Amino acid sequence: MAAGTLTAIAGNTVREALRNRVLYTLVFFAVLLIGSGVLLATLSYVERERILQDVGLEAIRFFGATIAIFVGVGLIHKEVERRTVYTILSKPVSRGEFILGKYAGLVATVWLQVTVMATAFAAVVLLAGVSLSFAHLAALLLTALELALLVAVATFFSAFTTPMLAACFTLGSYMLGHLSRDLREIGAASDSAAVERATAALSWILPDLDSFNLTIQAVHGLPIAVHELAVPALYGVGYAGLLLLAAVFLFERRDLR
Amino acid sequence: MRGESPLRPDQRRKLSEPPVIVRVENVVKDFRPGLGLRTKRVLHGISFGVREGEIFGFVGPNGAGKTTTLKILMGLIHPTQGRAEILGHDVRETRFRRHIGFLPENPYFYEFLTGREFLRFYGRLAGLARAECAERGAMLLEWVHLTHAADARLATYSKGMLQRIGIAQALIHDPKVVFLDEPMSGLDPIGRKEIRDLILRLRGEGKTVFMNTHILSDVELLCDRVAIIVKGEIRHEGSSESFLADGEHQSDVVFANLPAELVARFEEEFGLHSAGRGERVELRVPDKRVAEVLQAALSLGAEVVSLTPHRVSLETFFLSAVANPGDS
Repeated sequence: MAAGTLTAIAGNTVREALRNRVLYTLVFFAVLLIGSGVLLATLSYVERERILQDVGLEAIRFFGATIAIFVGVGLIHKEVERRTVYTILSKPVSRGEFILGKYAGLVATVWLQVTVMATAFAAVVLLAGVSLSFAHLAALLLTALELALLVAVATFFSAFTTPMLAACFTLGSYMLGHLSRDLREIGAASDSAAVERATAALSWILPDLDSFNLTIQAVHGLPIAVHELAVPALYGVGYAGLLLLAAVFLFERRDLR
Repeated sequence: MRGESPLRPDQRRKLSEPPVIVRVENVVKDFRPGLGLRTKRVLHGISFGVREGEIFGFVGPNGAGKTTTLKILMGLIHPTQGRAEILGHDVRETRFRRHIGFLPENPYFYEFLTGREFLRFYGRLAGLARAECAERGAMLLEWVHLTHAADARLATYSKGMLQRIGIAQALIHDPKVVFLDEPMSGLDPIGRKEIRDLILRLRGEGKTVFMNTHILSDVELLCDRVAIIVKGEIRHEGSSESFLADGEHQSDVVFANLPAELVARFEEEFGLHSAGRGERVELRVPDKRVAEVLQAALSLGAEVVSLTPHRVSLETFFLSAVANPGDS
């Protein structure tokens, strides 16, 4: 796999995103929401600092997910629909390199926007007199990893379905991914062994997105063990890797009409 | 005897012909439209070859299978059966594409890129180093007369400019074989001439050009060899001259004051384009019988208004091939 090819495709994807005004609008509203945390925090004197941090970190996760899903679901489909993929694949570029390059480009775009939002968050929080800790950094790093996993989900569906279907599946995966632990617990509490097995299977298949959430630790200043970072990171890389392999497998067999 | 070739003349002729570098053998393509319950066969075991250094025209009516064939060669569609090779490599391989260039029909390119960025991107995809991308990009922009628009976004380019920048991206890595899908599509006469000149220049540089088209005048002007595809079958493959040489040579003769008995006789033998006592009569006569017809007419007082050699154009041949499956 040629690094130059991946870099070229990824770079082009980032360039396209940066020249897309819609993404600037989303980032603007994200920064606005982060800033509005100051206003929301005034509603409570006691929890002011925690509300500020909560709103900020959740805004980063929400807007990051929005960008990841709604740009990601059209990532491959748009290239096929507009036939830009024809001239790319006529060069010595494999379909796998194309998929991975587009994925890397979108992840870089999402992480760029997370960086902008994180900077705004840090500024707002510091101005409010709250100290930043390693826990905040860890929370943001895992948010970035969660979004990379979400982009992998969107890329997978985009490789073989329409943007509408890919959006439904990806959004569904995102929502259920935050409920996978609850699903397992509901199944375990059920009287039916079949229900327990079904919910357990579903919770294994769905991405466990809650494992990437360190907001509580960051907001309450709790210590973070190494495994709380390492395990989700390995899980995210492995899960995203499997999805991308599947996306490449499906895309390679597709007729690009 | 010393100095004489041991080969027969036909073997010597074959050796002197350029090698076939694009080879399609018994390619079948089935699609499964809708829910995939039915199969629709689009290509019925087609075979043809393109020789090195020639401009090859792939001609057919809309829906004949031209673009499907080209997409199979580009690896965008997988053949159901059969084999296609370019430069000795199966079309499903990737790395040999360093030696081919492709311009799709009505291409859509990244509008957010400038001309210069666009060529640099495709140069990088083709494996060129940054410096080489820049150098070849500048050269090609000049070649296709787009230096003045190098830093303008493709969103501002006209149709003709997009075709020219499209050809430039197909050539950025100096390929040996260039595939063009309807390169004249949507262009005005000036744009078409520019593209024709570019194609001829490519051949002059020793490149092989494969051109999908349904514009027969371009085929007659440019192509060394032609294949006609109709409803997924190759109806004819050969040199442009062979199309025009095939069939009997004929001439169009226009008479005035042709006597009625001759009108009836000629109508029965040759058919008439227009007829009537005392009016002009137009015939299409095999060359070998022109002298006989002229003598008969002149001896009965008719006048010869005109005598014009009639040659089968590619259009005539094409229409015949489309209309008559077993006779081309």
